Amino acid sequence: MTTLQVDGQRVEARAGDSLLEALVRAGLHPTGGGCLCLGGDCPNCLVTVDGVAYTRSCQVGTAAGMKVTRDHLGGEEPALLSDEPMSAGNAAPVRHVHCDTVVIGQGKSGREAAREARDGGLGVVTLDAREGQHVTGVYPGPLVVASDQAGRVLHVHPRREIVIATGAAEIQPVVPGSDLEGLVTARAAAELVAAGIDLGRAVAVGERPAGLPADSLVAHFPVGEGGWELVRFEGDGRVEAVVVRRHGDAGATEERIECDTAILGLGRNPRNALARMASDLPVRVVGSAAAEPQLPSCPREGTVCPCSRVTVADLDGVWERGFHEMELLKRATLAGTGTCQGGVCLPYLRSFLLERGGRLQPAFTARPLNRQLTVRELAAGAHTTVTARSPLHDEHLSLGARMDRAGGWWRPWTYGRKDDEYRSVRERVSLGDVSSLGKMAISGPDAEAFLERIVPTKVATIRPGRCRYVLMLDERAYLLDDGMLCREPDQDAGDRFFLTSTSGGAGFFELWLRDWAEAFGCDVRILNQTASLAAINVTGPQAARLLASAGARELPAFGRHRQVRVAGVDCRVVRLSFTGELSYELHHPAADACKLWRRLLAAGAGFNVQPHGLETLLRLRLEKGHIVIGQDTDYDSTPRRLAHGWAVNLNKGDFVGRQAILRTNKRPLDKRLVALRMEDPPVRQAADPSAEGAAIHDGDRYAGYVTSDAGTAAGGGTPMLGWLYLDAEGSLPHEVTIDGRPARRVDGPTYDPEGERARAAVDIASESPQDLREFPIARPEATDLGAEAPSEPPRLRRLEATRVSATPAALDAVVAEPPWPAGARAFRTAPDELLVAASPDFDVAGDPHAIVERETAFSYVWLDEATAERFLDRECEWRRPSARPAFAQGEIAGIPAKLWFDAGRTLILTPAPFASAFQRRLTRSLEETDGDAA
Amino acid sequence: MNEFVERQMKLTWRPPKKSYDVVIVGAGGHGLATAYYLATRHGMSNVAVFERGYIGGGNSGRNTTIIRANYGIPAAVRFYQRSVDLYRGLEEETDRWLMHQAKGLLWMAHSEAAVRAERMRAKLNTQFGAETEFVGPAQVQELCPQLDMSGGGRWPVLGASYHPQGATARHDRVVWALAEGAMEHGAHVHQNMPVDGLIIDGDRVAGVRTASGDIAAGAVVSAVGGHVSRIAAMAGLRLPIRTHRLQAFVTNHYLQQFGPIVASSELFFYASQTARGEMLLGAEIDPQPSFSYRSSHDFVQDVCRRALCLLPFMSNLRVLRQWTGVCDMSPDYSPIMGHTGVPGFYITTGWGTWGFKAIPAGGEQMAELIATGEVPELIAPFGLDRFARDRTMADRGSAGTH
Repeated sequence: MTTLQVDGQRVEARAGDSLLEALVRAGLHPTGGGCLCLGGDCPNCLVTVDGVAYTRSCQVGTAAGMKVTRDHLGGEEPALLSDEPMSAGNAAPVRHVHCDTVVIGQGKSGREAAREARDGGLGVVTLDAREGQHVTGVYPGPLVVASDQAGRVLHVHPRREIVIATGAAEIQPVVPGSDLEGLVTARAAAELVAAGIDLGRAVAVGERPAGLPADSLVAHFPVGEGGWELVRFEGDGRVEAVVVRRHGDAGATEERIECDTAILGLGRNPRNALARMASDLPVRVVGSAAAEPQLPSCPREGTVCPCSRVTVADLDGVWERGFHEMELLKRATLAGTGTCQGGVCLPYLRSFLLERGGRLQPAFTARPLNRQLTVRELAAGAHTTVTARSPLHDEHLSLGARMDRAGGWWRPWTYGRKDDEYRSVRERVSLGDVSSLGKMAISGPDAEAFLERIVPTKVATIRPGRCRYVLMLDERAYLLDDGMLCREPDQDAGDRFFLTSTSGGAGFFELWLRDWAEAFGCDVRILNQTASLAAINVTGPQAARLLASAGARELPAFGRHRQVRVAGVDCRVVRLSFTGELSYELHHPAADACKLWRRLLAAGAGFNVQPHGLETLLRLRLEKGHIVIGQDTDYDSTPRRLAHGWAVNLNKGDFVGRQAILRTNKRPLDKRLVALRMEDPPVRQAADPSAEGAAIHDGDRYAGYVTSDAGTAAGGGTPMLGWLYLDAEGSLPHEVTIDGRPARRVDGPTYDPEGERARAAVDIASESPQDLREFPIARPEATDLGAEAPSEPPRLRRLEATRVSATPAALDAVVAEPPWPAGARAFRTAPDELLVAASPDFDVAGDPHAIVERETAFSYVWLDEATAERFLDRECEWRRPSARPAFAQGEIAGIPAKLWFDAGRTLILTPAPFASAFQRRLTRSLEETDGDAA
Repeated sequence: MNEFVERQMKLTWRPPKKSYDVVIVGAGGHGLATAYYLATRHGMSNVAVFERGYIGGGNSGRNTTIIRANYGIPAAVRFYQRSVDLYRGLEEETDRWLMHQAKGLLWMAHSEAAVRAERMRAKLNTQFGAETEFVGPAQVQELCPQLDMSGGGRWPVLGASYHPQGATARHDRVVWALAEGAMEHGAHVHQNMPVDGLIIDGDRVAGVRTASGDIAAGAVVSAVGGHVSRIAAMAGLRLPIRTHRLQAFVTNHYLQQFGPIVASSELFFYASQTARGEMLLGAEIDPQPSFSYRSSHDFVQDVCRRALCLLPFMSNLRVLRQWTGVCDMSPDYSPIMGHTGVPGFYITTGWGTWGFKAIPAGGEQMAELIATGEVPELIAPFGLDRFARDRTMADRGSAGTH
């Protein structure tokens, strides 16, 4: 015996009772009445169970303490917000199951299909509603989604076939009184009786229920040809009598029999919703689910659709108003749009339309969800949206930064000292974390020719050791991204380049380059170093002095870059400027970022160095008139409209976007992004801090709108960027109004128009030697993956390794005779890419253009086999290799990962920016599956 | 009778004639609205709308019923505001209950960049007639008490642009009311009658070919959704259109009232409550072009996860049904309306994910164009020739989802 609470009352259930059986045994009925089918086909047994409304009580078991409300809408008001914050973390657990064949339904034909498949040596998964496995949908993949008894959600991935053996549903009565309590289908009657439930005085109409003792029926009326016709049920809330009619030679005979229960055996229809929604999937429908549907006779009166409470009169009403198509009938009455998705009404709608219109219309579209799972169940196994973390993430937090999402990364928005952040750049020296920039190493015999076709600048004129601001355009010449292109200083290295992009564009950027390299047939190597390299921008008038005191001996001049050891860390130092001040961008291995950051802060203490956040950076760049992709640009921003024609060289070969530029240059210009300056800006309110979005007027003419306004500059006046439409004469006004206040269009930046500060000559040789500090240099050891054992609990650690991009043939040769120490593990992550747990002190003999770089962008963890299975069954939706050892790559819970399946243990590698997200997912998953059978 | 049925429109079907002044291909919202406004505003009722299936069976019956004007470029704001205004008067004008309800739309921001974008949107919209204001977290919470302002600890609501005129209407009823109105004035609507070809007379389109024979027309308008490229090809036109799937789903009835429409462009979903109390959720288009109407599990799965971040009360609601429509996306994320360069052939397309909200204004403006031969000022920027003229109407930021 199990005790439930039903509407606050105690109800005893017997072992093995479904919730509906327990209710009926207690003389209770879910509210709303209607014929019970016990097969999950109708909406008449819906109740609320433990706060989950619209639950089919015939499809759930009973459990002690279960709280049931017979009102299926939910009864009591649900809480507005749960006490604990719920996020994706509160999704139900998922289990991924891979098999050859999945058989849905385990009646006779389902069991046979499963046996046949097993006999044929196939891996079979069976799903059966009676085992608590309710299939919600059959989807492309193929993927079958089902709930399971353990409160998990099953994602079944069959390789060969989905067998649908869902059987048949019984036809429900549609006559006056068919929404009374006390009506059951023939199959339901048999099940209730078998469960020892007394039906009282029972009358059977139609097929005689199986397994009922002959004397248990008060009366039995066969239906159909020459038989009886169901006329109505009578009663007040609960059925008291059944009225049937028979047409004989002497006219119609009507009989009225009093009863406690009416049993309806009105025939069966294939339970084919899954089959109908699965067209063009590898599906086989067997048994009675495959049968042709039977149409009941056209209903005369009563409720046709119990979900939406649609009556025959309603159908007639819309028919007379011209709604003659099945889909229109459904939409106009809402019949078939409730929980049972037409399970009850569909056969009647078809027979109604056949009789009224003389045309048999097909069933309306079957759509998921066949069984309605909850939002938290459906969210099971959803991928995480991961926001990448810079290697300096924790440093920013410890400095009190408020982190913000920007371009897919967590960036320090401000350290809480906005004015000082700004002043430290303009007056002293400051550090900015720009690790999120996209970074690509590109080499190969065609590297220069390739880049000539990608960027609109003339790459041939970028001499070794130089760098240049570049645009990246699409085929329509719209600006996709911008960055800087550096040619390596070492001429012996052949053509090798380093190209950056904005943070937000980095993911797209690699695909873009690789696609074009392939399309143009260029012989290049491309290595994405976005996560491999951290970058710190040292900016401000004292930047060079800070670097000198941090041990830098030589620094590049403006527009140049070179390898410099700063504070004991090998850096590529690039000298361009986004802030308008003297700036050095220090690109260095991600593993060294914290060390470098702390040493720079320490070395800069004498200069009162202060890091600056993104908010300050956006203000600084605006004073220099630099654009931000996506903020100042849209999907029509050509270099001409952006006034960036200076970055385009049409006197070189073809490049992506060139044809569009030539075509659009023939058209008169319509608008231009311009720099504006407002001398006397309004005092902005907290609620309206910026003019962004404000209309610009040229006299009375609407002339454009503001895209960037970051407030008043230190020197007074407010710099802005905005779109300005040319006037009828084709010129741009100089004097405009913004929000009714005068503003002036300016040519070039308002701050340091000549760029003297950014380009300042620097001589650090004059720094007194005693100010130059030495920093210890520890050469990192490569991670010895062979020696590591699975840790408990599993913790991700940074991998010290080497990544190689080279021709596939050259890598084949390298792998055949590894130049790295014996025992170091190497993973062939792509035909032209290799990840080796060794130090980068080897060459790739077969490819002089190979890129071999220290790689610290991965985190790794070893899991023992059982733990790995437990984690991956839940978080990995793709089929894992069964061979050992084996290497595989793919997303785990939406996070990119590389897996090495060794005997008895599994290695997982994931990019370091996602390591903390991966760790959270791993820890939670293992906690929640603790105790699960593998 | 239930109330849905009691207040139903009356549709009158008539056999096709051999010739009409105007033939419109596609009896979705835009096609029927064009017929409706031709009849009611310009006295043109010798008009037929041909539909390959049933009326409103394409995207007009598959959208998420949202009406708003808070777009990102002035021309779009003006156009959609016209539609918002027409929608507000449409119940009275047609004397039909369209379940139109202004409920306000909150477009939430979870990062500083998004706060900036929403502030900018508010300012731009208001200047061009679409009332929108930026509201802080306290006001957001007041407008929608169900929101978890911490975003599940991960996606805090830092503010939102609030567009009080944001509304919903029952999509089917809008379609039926326009059909009924057009029919009442004498226009014909023909269901189950695909247009198999266009009659070309010299350089102009002079009618359509159907299974019931050739039908002559003074003007042919393509108001097709989903397969517009096929119809345009019949006139020798290539359109800059790609078709993508867009999915949505509803839950079972939620007992409480969920006031506004809420959207998040960082979590990429939006939610509102239907007149029946269901929670209706949608998200962005599938990135891969497709003509498939097949729904996918990963869509529901991911939207459920994202929605739970902000609307944790939904956890125990059951998802009732999901469905799919196909969207015609233009390169600049703006619609294409007007002349095609082929005499006698007009087009209204590129309705992407913003077709439903544009139905009245799109129909009104197309009707004016056809009746007068002059391109109305409101839709002049949206002509097909803008791509060749390098005058695209880029509005990606505000068109992404709904």
